[in-house]
Amino acid sequence: MQNRPSNTPSISPAAVVVAAVFLIVSVIGINWFTTFVPVVLPEQASAESKSVDELFYILMIIGGVVFFLIQGMLLISVIAFRARPGDEGDGPTYHGNPLLEIVWTIIPALVVVFLAVVSFNIWTQNTEPKAAINMVEGHSISINVTGARYAWTHQYVTERFDPDGNQIVINSGPELHTYIGQNVDLTLQTQDVIHSYWVPAMRVKQDLLPGDPTRGGRPTQLRFTPIRVEDRSYPARYPIVCAELCGDGHGRMQGAVIVYENESQFLDQFYEPAIHAILNPPADPILRGEMEIQNYICNSCHILDSLGWTSTTGPSLNGVADRAGERVPGQTAEEYIATSIWNSGAFRVPGYDQQMAAFGPDVMEATNVMSPEQLYSIVAYLCTQGEQSDCDMNNANVAIPDAIQTVFGYEVDITFGMDADADAETPDTETEASDDSE
Amino acid sequence: MATIAVPLGAQGEQVEAEALRRPALSEYLRWSVDHKIIGVQYGVSAFLFFIIGGAMAMLIRLELWTPELDLIVSGAAYNSLFTIHGTIMIFLFIIPMWAAFGVPLQLGAKDMAFPWLNAFAFWLIPPAAVVVLLGYFVSPAEAGWTSYPPLSTLFSGDGQTLWALGAHLLGISSIMGSINFIVTIFNMRPPEMTIWRMPLLCWAVLATSIIAVMATPFLAGALTLLLLDRVAGTTFFDAASGGDVLLWQNIFWFYSHPAVYIMVLPGMGVLSEVLSVHSRKPVFGYRMVGLSSMGIAFVGFTVWAHHMFTSLQPELRIPFMITTMIIAVPTGIKMFSWIGTIWGGKIRLNSAMLFALGFLSLFVIGGISGVMLAALPFDIHVHDTYFVVSHFHFVLFGGSVFAVYAALYHWFPKVTGRMLNERLGQIHFVFTYFGFLFTFFPMHVVGMLGMPRRVAVYVEGFQAWNQLISFSAFVLGFSTFIVIYNVIKSYYHGPIAGANPWRALTLEWQTTSPPPPMNFDDDPIPFEDPYGYGTEASAAYLAVVDEAFSNGSTRASEH
Amino acid sequence: MTSYVDRQHKAKLGQPSEADLRLKNNRLGMTIFQISWIMVFLAMIIVNWQLRFSYSEWPPAGIAPFDPLGPSAATVALLLSALLVKRGLQALRVKRIGGFLMDWRGAMIFGFAFMAVIVYEFASVSDAALATQYGITMRLMTGFHFVHALAILAVMAHVIRNGAAGRYSGDEHDSWAVEGTAKLWYFVTLAWILFYVVLYWIR
Ligand code: HEA
Ligand code: HEA
Ligand code: CUA
Ligand SMILES: [Cu+2]
Repeated sequence: MQNRPSNTPSISPAAVVVAAVFLIVSVIGINWFTTFVPVVLPEQASAESKSVDELFYILMIIGGVVFFLIQGMLLISVIAFRARPGDEGDGPTYHGNPLLEIVWTIIPALVVVFLAVVSFNIWTQNTEPKAAINMVEGHSISINVTGARYAWTHQYVTERFDPDGNQIVINSGPELHTYIGQNVDLTLQTQDVIHSYWVPAMRVKQDLLPGDPTRGGRPTQLRFTPIRVEDRSYPARYPIVCAELCGDGHGRMQGAVIVYENESQFLDQFYEPAIHAILNPPADPILRGEMEIQNYICNSCHILDSLGWTSTTGPSLNGVADRAGERVPGQTAEEYIATSIWNSGAFRVPGYDQQMAAFGPDVMEATNVMSPEQLYSIVAYLCTQGEQSDCDMNNANVAIPDAIQTVFGYEVDITFGMDADADAETPDTETEASDDSE
Repeated sequence: MATIAVPLGAQGEQVEAEALRRPALSEYLRWSVDHKIIGVQYGVSAFLFFIIGGAMAMLIRLELWTPELDLIVSGAAYNSLFTIHGTIMIFLFIIPMWAAFGVPLQLGAKDMAFPWLNAFAFWLIPPAAVVVLLGYFVSPAEAGWTSYPPLSTLFSGDGQTLWALGAHLLGISSIMGSINFIVTIFNMRPPEMTIWRMPLLCWAVLATSIIAVMATPFLAGALTLLLLDRVAGTTFFDAASGGDVLLWQNIFWFYSHPAVYIMVLPGMGVLSEVLSVHSRKPVFGYRMVGLSSMGIAFVGFTVWAHHMFTSLQPELRIPFMITTMIIAVPTGIKMFSWIGTIWGGKIRLNSAMLFALGFLSLFVIGGISGVMLAALPFDIHVHDTYFVVSHFHFVLFGGSVFAVYAALYHWFPKVTGRMLNERLGQIHFVFTYFGFLFTFFPMHVVGMLGMPRRVAVYVEGFQAWNQLISFSAFVLGFSTFIVIYNVIKSYYHGPIAGANPWRALTLEWQTTSPPPPMNFDDDPIPFEDPYGYGTEASAAYLAVVDEAFSNGSTRASEH
Repeated sequence: MTSYVDRQHKAKLGQPSEADLRLKNNRLGMTIFQISWIMVFLAMIIVNWQLRFSYSEWPPAGIAPFDPLGPSAATVALLLSALLVKRGLQALRVKRIGGFLMDWRGAMIFGFAFMAVIVYEFASVSDAALATQYGITMRLMTGFHFVHALAILAVMAHVIRNGAAGRYSGDEHDSWAVEGTAKLWYFVTLAWILFYVVLYWIR
């Protein structure tokens, strides 16, 4: 037998050299690693991002030490302890070393305790409720975010009132508007499945959880405070990403945080104009409809060239008015369009699943409900989407309210009228695909 | 490699192929209660699923070559692709893979404790696979392998029901297999093999099986509820009727976190064997390596909600962060003990050893990223991004799959009686290691920069990264062909291995390759220490074994 | 290689016979199976508890709590049945096959009495309760338990038939089927007691 056990420990001088080299390499290596911190993370656009990145830095150093330690020892072993050609012998019979084993149990334990303490501190610091949240003009307003497949909607419940005494609610669609230093505190709710609201630049993320609407849903909170980023011009724009699989359009479920330089820029460029538009809606329902429809999430699923929508989850809305009249026997085009929005499950375009949220009061949570006026104006707008609209455009101020009435099933009060001579035809739109409503 | 021991059987090269006493290939297609047949059935079918799952991964990477949706027709189709990729890889590949050929042999047992149950557990897998794949072709599940409701209940098609049924069957198969292992390990050892003389693979399989019998029932419970919600109109997960979506997440992860250790612990057992044999040195700190498996198993049950850091109530997140970090300690014990094992040894850098060292080198990266994920404030940023995808491929591929390859190169001679081609094995390693590294390391970066997982469309700025990843993934995929070729070729033409080509001390090497129907022609007697390399006693023992089998003889007792 | 270690040593340790080993395996296997499968029942208890959190009161407002009277009687019947199973097994061990058969038939009667009550309880959950998780989880748990009890009763019937045919001598080795079935029935009893307490007594 060639089997000659050898009991000589075989740490060669080579191993010492390699060890020294390894030490130097790991010091340089860890240094080099950490220079990547700004490269591998997005800009630091919130107070929270600073501390999260600090934690990342610490993790990189500790991880780097562990990494170079293990890889280094592996490399040394492979180089220094490789059996020489022709050596058929065994290595030394070491069964272990209790002291060493205790050491390599205790040290990692201490390291993880340290990490846990650091993480805990950063976590409590970042999630501490702040005193003055969502401050606008000295008031603390509430900002609600709604996720629905596949779009975000932001709503500002302002401290202003319209002439009827109703609180004004600004709907800013997929955009969250804020300013440097504002302590943002969002209330998040979903209308269907779980979504996750992620702003990479702010290092914050929170899932939206379905809850029982009759018991107030299951709102979740998200807090952060935007800070100034060097070399950025304001208003600055940061993406919002959906981070929880929610279906077909999950990857397209995006939005943006718009950060203004200060409160007055925020007021001038966003808040006041938005309130002004709400207090003075265009009198023309078609124009108003064009405005209203963009407050909803329709763009997340539909194609509509005139507004630049490109999503293919739902049927195309291009030329919808050309088809609406023939879709359901006995229903006018107006009725068909209104029903399809009001109770989206009523009809289904062949080839498409029922995925659209309904906008009627009985079906889903209140944040999404359309008022009769809103539905009226949106139907009016959609009636213009076609070459020769099936809608009765010459008589629109009667036909559409009638349709809305039919859909509601009870008397509705529409407080603004349609210009009798509203020009029904809009030139664009190719017709292809099928139809709206799903 | 010149340093590799000449296989003992090489002297018996004249041994005819028939003398290998290999079962006919058709045996493997039939019901059999022989654990050696079943072990191969498990292994080969699991590897087949690995290839199917891998081919799907190639499609995923092809789709991600560009930021738009082009190759695949819709977001939903893409969703079902990674859903089925994850499901196949987890439930059909890596968990069944470990229903090891080797355990009864290492224990010196004639078979498993319940041979019939062993066969039955295996034969649940093909129908389950048919159900899952049928679901894929009918109307695919598209809620990810984690199947969060309400997406998986109110918003998806019948494929989801089939998915749940298939997973249910696989869970039951896994429970039955595990009961069998525990009983075998407790009752079937020869009297000389006390629990502290048991090979570490058996320790690892014991820990794995304990996890499986304790955790898998929770999967069964969760899937039952999911099925009832889908077909019987119950509303456990429907918030509108008082149900709770977090209920699923809690129960699913209460199973699935321990399950990740089901996927990796046997691999760690393999590593203890391979590193010790091929560096000719005892496992450093044998008892701690054995016990740390139990430690991991135990702590593993307390960490599940680290997958729910963004959905759990904020107050509850901290305790799970702490328990999760603690897992690094027992795992670290293993890592350092392995280094201690090879340190100062006489390392033979053959393919089995290369893959084992590859495991060490890659798993530690996955472990570090795991600890980073456990750091709650950081996880909030990277949860559900490619950082996580990177983490789990490092532990699952860099860990488990590398261990599968190490086991293949190590035990192939025992299973088939022939050696694999060394040179091809080394080429395979180089392609796999570097292909892997360049596929999955950059994913950390895209994840941190803002690319969520489970998307077919992404921001254009990430395209360069994704092309690098996809290209390397194709290299990685290509490397699989090398090992497939090697296995097929060596099965017929490889050099005869002989009983104990690695001159190892554990019992599976004290019988012919492949072993006779009852494994041992005589009651085998284990050497006093399964890893006692380097002593005169072990040399004497090996000499006896060597002589007993050297003439191509099949019976040890003839001497 | 057999010469390497003293063969006598082995004889001294005394290896179990094949039949002993099989019995030992069966017993350990059954224990592990029971530990494992009770986890499914525990999972359902956890489901019940977690769902309670989404309600401010339990049972939810306006829903009458289940009357524990019937289930209590059923529980007593099940306990009696388990006792009879145990007595029957002991009778078998001392080779009193007649006593064994009688006890097990009695056990089955009590078992069916238990099941009848449970079926009644399952069927009479009010629609109001069924609109909430209170009713749904009750049905989940009783239904899930019912399936198990029914399966084990079927096995018991089979064992009794075999017993009547004189298949069991009473020796441990040839009557594992009886022992195993008894253990499964204890399992069903234990699982029910857990459910019973959770469903009817923990508010
Ligand atoms: C084999 C499978 C496997 C293994 C072994 C692990 C091991 C670990 N995992 Fe991983 N994990 C998965 C498979 C696995 N994981 C999968 C599949 C997912 C995603 C599921 C999905 O969402 O689809 C996931 C996701 C996942 C998450 C959730 C991420 C998210 O979705 O946001 C977290 C968070 O804590 C986590 C943590 C850990 C930790 C701490 C370990 C630890 O066990 C690692 C311990 C090892 C080491 C640390 C290295 C060695 C130790 C030393 C050298 C000692 C010194 C070290 C230090 C002091 C740091 N994992
Ligand atoms: C053991 C588990 C395992 C293994 C081995 C792998 C292996 C691979 N995985 Fe896997 N993966 C998972 C488990 C695993 N994965 C899980 C659980 C998920 C999460 C799913 C979810 O989100 O629900 C996931 C998700 C996942 C994603 C994320 C998808 C997304 O979120 O959008 C990606 C993307 O790149 C990916 C890629 C790969 C690649 C390139 C490989 C490669 O390593 C594969 C290499 C192997 C082969 C290629 C086999 C060889 C094939 C052939 C020889 C056939 C030849 C065919 C062609 C070349 C076309 N995986
Ligand atoms: Cu919404 Cu993903
Ligand atoms: Cu986990």
